[in-house]
Order: sequence, then C-alpha cells, then structure tokens
Amino acid sequence: MRINPSIGPDRARAVFDEELQGITTDAALRDLRHRWLARSGSWVAGFMDLLAAAAPAEKKALGRGANELKRHVEQALGDREAALAATKRPEGAVDITLPGRQPSLGFRHPLSLIREQIGDIFSRLGYQVLEGGEIEDDYHNFEALNMPEEHPARDMQDTLYLATPVPPPAVPPPTRGRAPRTPQPLTLLRTHTSAMQIRQMERHDPPVRLVAIGPVYRRDNLDLTHTPMFHQVEGLVVGRGITLADLKGTLTSMATALFGEGQQVRFRPSFFPYTEPSAEVDIRCIRCQGAGCAMCKRTGWIEILGSGMVHPAVFEAVGYDPAEFTGFAFGMGIERVALLKWGVEDIRLFYENDLRFLEQFGR
Amino acid sequence: MNVLLSWIREFVDVAEPAEEIGRRLSLRGLALEGLEAQGDDWLLDFDVTANRPDCMSVAGIAREIAVVFQRPFRAPHTRLAGAVRTHTAPSMTAPAVSIRIDAPDLCRRYVGAVADVRIGPSPQWMADRLTACGVRPISNVVDITNYVLLELGHPMHAFDHERLAGPAIVVRRAADQETLTTLDGKARTLRGDMLVIGDAARASAVAGVMGGAASEVHSGTTRIVLEAAWFKPQSVRATSKALGLRSEASMRFERGADLTAATVAMARAGELLEQTGAGRITAPFIDVYPEPYAPQPVHLAQPRIAGLLGMAVPEADVERILTALGFQATRSETGWRVIAPGWRVDQHRDVDLIEEIGRHFGFEHLPSTFPGVQQAPQPSDPRIARDQRARRIALARGFSEAISFAFIDARHASPFLAGAAPVALANPLSETFAVMRPSLLPGLLAAVSHNRRHGRRDVQLFEVGTRFSPSGESRALALAWTGLATPDHWSGQRRDVDLFDLKGVVEHLAEAFDAPLTFDLPAAHDLAADVLVPGRAATLHLAGTAVGVLGQATPAVCDGHDMPGTDATYVAELDLDALSRHSGALRMAQPLPRFPAAVRDVALLLDEHLSAAEVRGTILSEAPDTLVSVVEFDRYQGTGIPEGKVSLALRLTYQSRERTLTDAEVDTATDEVVGVLHISLGAVRR
Repeated sequence: MRINPSIGPDRARAVFDEELQGITTDAALRDLRHRWLARSGSWVAGFMDLLAAAAPAEKKALGRGANELKRHVEQALGDREAALAATKRPEGAVDITLPGRQPSLGFRHPLSLIREQIGDIFSRLGYQVLEGGEIEDDYHNFEALNMPEEHPARDMQDTLYLATPVPPPAVPPPTRGRAPRTPQPLTLLRTHTSAMQIRQMERHDPPVRLVAIGPVYRRDNLDLTHTPMFHQVEGLVVGRGITLADLKGTLTSMATALFGEGQQVRFRPSFFPYTEPSAEVDIRCIRCQGAGCAMCKRTGWIEILGSGMVHPAVFEAVGYDPAEFTGFAFGMGIERVALLKWGVEDIRLFYENDLRFLEQFGR
Repeated sequence: MNVLLSWIREFVDVAEPAEEIGRRLSLRGLALEGLEAQGDDWLLDFDVTANRPDCMSVAGIAREIAVVFQRPFRAPHTRLAGAVRTHTAPSMTAPAVSIRIDAPDLCRRYVGAVADVRIGPSPQWMADRLTACGVRPISNVVDITNYVLLELGHPMHAFDHERLAGPAIVVRRAADQETLTTLDGKARTLRGDMLVIGDAARASAVAGVMGGAASEVHSGTTRIVLEAAWFKPQSVRATSKALGLRSEASMRFERGADLTAATVAMARAGELLEQTGAGRITAPFIDVYPEPYAPQPVHLAQPRIAGLLGMAVPEADVERILTALGFQATRSETGWRVIAPGWRVDQHRDVDLIEEIGRHFGFEHLPSTFPGVQQAPQPSDPRIARDQRARRIALARGFSEAISFAFIDARHASPFLAGAAPVALANPLSETFAVMRPSLLPGLLAAVSHNRRHGRRDVQLFEVGTRFSPSGESRALALAWTGLATPDHWSGQRRDVDLFDLKGVVEHLAEAFDAPLTFDLPAAHDLAADVLVPGRAATLHLAGTAVGVLGQATPAVCDGHDMPGTDATYVAELDLDALSRHSGALRMAQPLPRFPAAVRDVALLLDEHLSAAEVRGTILSEAPDTLVSVVEFDRYQGTGIPEGKVSLALRLTYQSRERTLTDAEVDTATDEVVGVLHISLGAVRR
C-alpha cells in the first residue's frame, strides 16, 4: 500500500503486520525496515510530519499512537531478524542431517551373547565357569554318569563316534574315584557337558560349585528344533546339606535373570539316569504369559531344562561319600533359551551365519 | 503311551475330566503329550520315562491316578489272586506241554498254559480299544495277548500247540547262525548270545521280541500254548537292537517287566478267553520259577527326606504315598523299612523312595533357597577371558561373530589338513558332516559365501572355536574379510579391502596377547601354501613355532564353497592356545619421557625386491639405543623412480630418558645408519 499516514496509526499497524507476514529474506526485511522507519519518506516519518501539523487538541492522541506504532514496528522487525538469523547456517557450516561416518563395529552372535550372560549370572553367584574338551571317552560321558553299556538311557542321546580314537589330553590323572588310572583314548563327541563335571570332581574335594558351558553333539537330523551340534550349560553344586529346594531357588533366580523379573518357574518330576530325584523345569510361556498359545502348545508353560539331585552312583564313581554329601545338577540348551528369548522360529538360523540375522541382536 | 479314560476307570473311580487328570499327572511325573476325544471317551497320551515300564500299561497309569486323586485302586494282583491260586493248584489234568529253561540267567521265569480255542474275530469292544491304542486287531486269541499287554504291561505270546514239536517249550540261547522267520515274514539270522523260545526241534520265537511264523496262531488253530515270562532286560535290548526289530513286547522287557506278574497276566488272559468265548485254559499253569522275587528291603531314614528335598513331608503323607504306590513300609526306629513291589524295577536306594515321596507330595511345595558358600570360588577356565579378549578386538575392527558346525564335508576339509589325517566320524549324519574341522576357515568361507549368495558383497566375519587333529583339540580365532575396506560413506572414496587391512587386525591381536608374531613366507608344506594365493600369503610364527596364517584365499578354495564373483577374500587364523601359552608376564608401567623426542625422515631408493623388514632390521641393529621407533610412512614406484627400484620413506624417532638429544648427534646417528644401509643393502638416500 502506498505510504498514507492519514489512515491513522491503528490501521497502519494492521498494514505493517500484513506486510511483515510475507518477509522471508534479509533483503526484503531491510526494504521493509526502510519503508517503515527511514528518516524521511517512511510511514513513521509521515506520522511525524502529520504530528507537526496537527491541531493542539489532536496532538496528544496522535503522538501516543505514532509512538506505539514505531515501537511495535521496531520490536517486530527485531524479532523477525533474529528468527531469520536462526535459520541461517553459520560460516563453514555442514549439513548435520547427513549420516555420520560409522567405524565398522561387528555384531555378537546371539548364542555367544546368551553364553556370556549365563556365565556372568553364575560367576556372580560364586560358581567357577569351565569349558572342557569336546571329544570324550566313554567312561566320562556315560559310565560315570550311571549309564553303563546297554543302559536304555543311552538311547536318549544318540552319540557320534570318531572313526579313530584321539589320544587323551595331557592332564594329571584323577586323584579319586573309579576312573581308569591310565587315561583312555577319546572315542566320541561329548553328548553333554556333564563329562567335564566328572573330570572336575575326580580331581577336587567337595564343595564343588561350577557351570560347564560349551558345544555338545548328538546324532539328530537338522530340523526346525534340532541341530546335531548345540550348546549346553550345566551346573553342579556339591556340599553338605545341598537340597532340591536350593536347586529351585538357584534356577528361579537364573530364569529371572534371563527372561525378566517376575518370571514364574515350575518343577515337574522327570527321569535322568544321573539324578534322583529328577525334575524338568518349565517357565511361564513368555509369549502368552500362561493364557495358552501355539508356542506353549496351549499349556501355558515351556520346558527349558532338566535337573535333579546328583545320583549317589555318580558320587560313588568320583569317590565322594553319598552319605556325607548331596548335590544338585542341571542342564540347559543355550539355543533353546535364545529361541524363546528372541522368538526365533528355526534353530538352523544360528548356524547359517547370515548377517541379516546376526545383525538383529546387538553388538 | 496311549490309554482310554474308560479303561482307566475300570481300575480307579475318577470322575474328573480327562484334561484335569492330564494336568495333575503332568506335575507328578507323567507328562500328558496328547489328548483326543474318541466319541464319548478320551484318549490320553502320556510320556512315560525310561525308568517306569510299569506305567507302560493302563493299570500302571491308573495306579498313579489313584495316588494323585487319593482314591482306592483296584489292583490286578489282588483281584486275580484267587484265579491264580485255582490255576496253580495241583490238578489231575496232565499239562499237554513240557517247559524247560536252559538259560536261567536270561529267563528268570516262564509261565505256560494250554488252552483250547475257537479262532475268530474279537468282540467289537475289544477290537475298538486295541485300535484306539494303536494295535491292529488280528484274531480273538492274538488280540487277548495284546489286550493283556496294554492293560497290565506284561507281554504275552500264543503258540499254535500243534505246531510245537514235542510239544515242548525250551528257553535257550540260539545256535550261532540259527535262522528263524519272524511273524513279520522276515528271515532272521541269530547269534549265539540271543535268547530264543524253541520247541523240541527248532527255534519258534525270539524271546521277548517277536514270535516265529512257523508256530503262529492261524484260523485253523484249536489249541494254543500261552506264554507269560520274564526275560533279562539287557538281553532283550541287545537282541532287539542287533536284529533291528522293536515290538511292544521288547520295549517293555528291555526296560524291565514285573517278575511277579506273569501268573497274574496268565490269569487275566484265561478270564478274557472265557469272557469273550474264545476258549478256555484247560490245564494248570506250568510255572518255571527257579528263583522267586526276593526284594532287598531299603532303609529310609526320616531326616534324609528333608535333607535331600529341603522340605519336610509329614509322616502320614510318607506312609500314604508309599502304600498307595504298592510299597510295604514298616516303621523302624529312625524311619521305615521299605519293600518295593515287583513292578517297580527302578527302586534300588533310599533316594528312589524320596523321589516318590517328593513328587507325590508335590514339588510345588518346595521352598526356594540358596546353597551356602563355604569357600572362595575356584578359578574359571582361563580360555573364557582369553577368548573374550580376542572377540572384543575382532568386533571392534568390524567383524561379526559366526558360529559354525564343527563337522564339515571331507572335501572342504582336505585343503586345510596340511598333510595330517582328518578326524573322521564313524557314524556321521551325512557327507556334509563327515569330518571334524581341521581349521575354522572352511566354515567361515562357507558363511562368507552364504552371505554373498544372499546379496551381501561386503562381509567381515570371525569365529572363535575348536579345531580337531589326530593329536587332539586346539582353540583358534579365524577372520575373513571381503568387499569394502570401510563402510560406504557420502564423503569418501570407496576402496576394497587388501591384505594390509587384515594384517593390521592380526597385529592388533598379537599386541593384545603380547605375542611378537613374525609374518613369514610360507614354506612348501605350510597350510598357507595350500590355501592362500602365492605372493599374498604369510605363515605366522611365534618364537619359531607356526601359529597361524594370513593371506588371500585361493580361487580354488573359494570355488569349493560356491563363492560368487571374483572379489578377493582375505583370511587369517590364529592358534589362541599357542598365543596364550606364550603371553603371561605381568607388564610394568613405564614413566613418561621427560625429554623431547627428535624426528628425522629419511627417503631411500632401494631395490624393489628388498623387504621392509630387512631395512628396518638393519636400522634397528645399527642405530644407537636412543632410536625408539622406525615407521615406514611412504612407499612409491613410478615416475621419477628408476625401473626395478622403489622409494621408501621412513620416520626415525630418537629419544633419551636422561637428557635432551642435540640436533648434531641425531643427524650423525641418522647419517651413520644411512651409510650402513648403502653399504649392506645398496640403499641410496634421496
């Protein structure tokens, strides 16, 4: 609009506000400032001229109106100037929305993560963590565990044997128990990490407090839930007065650490040759919280491990007095924990090493 | 084990729905695996553990239900005791068969009975029950033997009396190579350690496993000999395994049959013959039973119960549970004297009794307690922390962690054997899993190939795992890298990985393990020479021992894993056991230097075949002790450099712990070094 102070300060203010609206550049803002505030020829200068010529009766009101307009214009221009400055890049600015330069950082294997977590849980509870050898002799894998030759329980774990035995590792011979004093050649792939526990007991007096972690092997065909190699963690506590209730407390605490606070656990009687009494442990289905779903076969519970009180025959094999000592033991598949924890539907994914899979579990 | 609810209810009054029965038994040791409506009846499928052959029967499961629901159990032993007495009483009727046990170590009891029969189909109710439980109805007589097996868990067999030479039953070991055609029509060749039931002339059944075709009951049979016996579990198991022949009978015998139940089963069969009109037992049972059941009483000390379980069980409950399960428990001063019934072949010690008490009292009553600590924890396997350190470095350098099967295809293993024999499996699952890996690299290359075939060009993987050789196991770290050297970025230039990217990672590892590795040209018999591209391969040595390889995998090795494309894949493998054997000395901290360092850059013109190691070695041996580091910072060939030569620039840093070095002495030292390089290596300063 043409500069026309005769419309009065109030209408002029509306004109200014409208003109300010469209300003987006510094140049336009400079022009606007000139048009409204310049010493001569501007809206404000026009009002000053009007004021000088005004009748004494109108002078007071017009003066106040003109001053208010000037203050408003200065204030609004200042605000807009600051706002425009804020959107502007400073000298030498970069586009901070571009992606950062990430140093490459690898991903942990999910089984390795669980394995470490379990090791940490039990280290904190004062257990020693052992790994042991993956090829074993028949005595330590079966016989010492109350599974003599022709025992039906051997069918529970179909074994992979070596075509040619491998010489035993050069370790000091056992100091106690029934183990052959000359080390036996290693003939099979261990079907569980229990063999490690026997080897430890043969060389150490009670109390014992250990977990054995590592790969184990069974002659199972690959399918959604089976692999011929998998990872196991087994715990063993031996001492005076160790009870099944101690096992329950320990495993409940482990389940909570693995699956979250408030995780419910139940014990079901079962059978293993190396424990008596034996129990299988279920956790409340982590998908349906017990309501019943496909994952828990509508029972609300999911089996996660086998456990029990160490069988006296096992103590006798390692030379511990079963009248003096009791102990508990448990064994759990690490893949199974990973399957449940992350909802993985095919166990074979753990062994394909597909980066699209591995990159889902954090570093 | 499949059981019908209606059949169970013949032994125990349990009105509760099938689902609740299943749920409660699952918490007492018999896990319900399946539940299926069958008209107005229910079929329950229980998972019976290997120690409980007594529960491979309707009566056995009913007994457990009776204990769980605290109802009376109609025990077959008790109900049929009268019939057994009648049939075993002295009688005028001459038995029409003779029975002899020649192998009493394998057959502790043999009960035989002669019955006259009219062969025909079974009544519908019986055929229906058998079918529901997965047994095909054949004829009334055969069906009765199967019905008794399912109901009481005691296997039975029927021979055609007419087809038994003698007529006689001889329980004996087979002759080696003796042959017999079993009921399934297959000719079997037997071994001398197998137990057979023979007649006067030949073998007519494999004891406890399967009957023979020649003495089979057929439509024209009018007289039979019924068998209810006890065979040694180990013998039945070995025979069944050797013949590859499993039957409902062998599965029960190999876990252990009830020695006291043979006559009970026979009495039940007699009852069913009459009930169904199939026939009648005509002569007294012949019971050859040289050494009757005499169980050892077990002393159960009362404090031992809470001592093992960690919960107290009231005396009344202890007695209720044991008695209901069929044990005889008599009070003694400190607890009970307990005798196990014949069907509880799993009972040997007090802990077995405590399990029975614990499971029926209920594991849900167990409190949660923790074992007390009596001593400081023993140290963990040192490999765990060591492997973790190796992992940390590999991860930090961008490698993701792989875990591969430890058994691989023999074809994939062979290039990695370095002259040694593979550790082969005697009974591998397949060709793919035939030998134990001699190296982690085949598995890692397979993983790289898998990723590349699934659209990933840039792959960085590592694995920490066990390798196998005829002398045993060793733990290694392996690395594989192909594609870009650093992740794609808008600012940068793309460059593919080369040998020195991977060598840097190996150098980091060596430093972390305090292991002064040398990178040497592979000798002819080295693994590196077999699997790595010549000229891009190194054998890693530590104190004179080969501890690993580094280089570019050969196209042949990559092709073996169907690696797509022609991009180079760099690999390294390090023996972690060897590395950790070497390191160990505690490192002491050094004070920071107080005097400034002096740096001199030297550019040399060298013969291009001269190795950097030789140049560096000469400098280090000739320079004064104040030379603290030598770094190659530029290497150049091309314009301005004569053919066959290379320009190598080195940065020499001098520093003293005692004083500030003067420019003059540093210059002199550098000139002297350059002089020696000129004389001994022909180097010319540029």
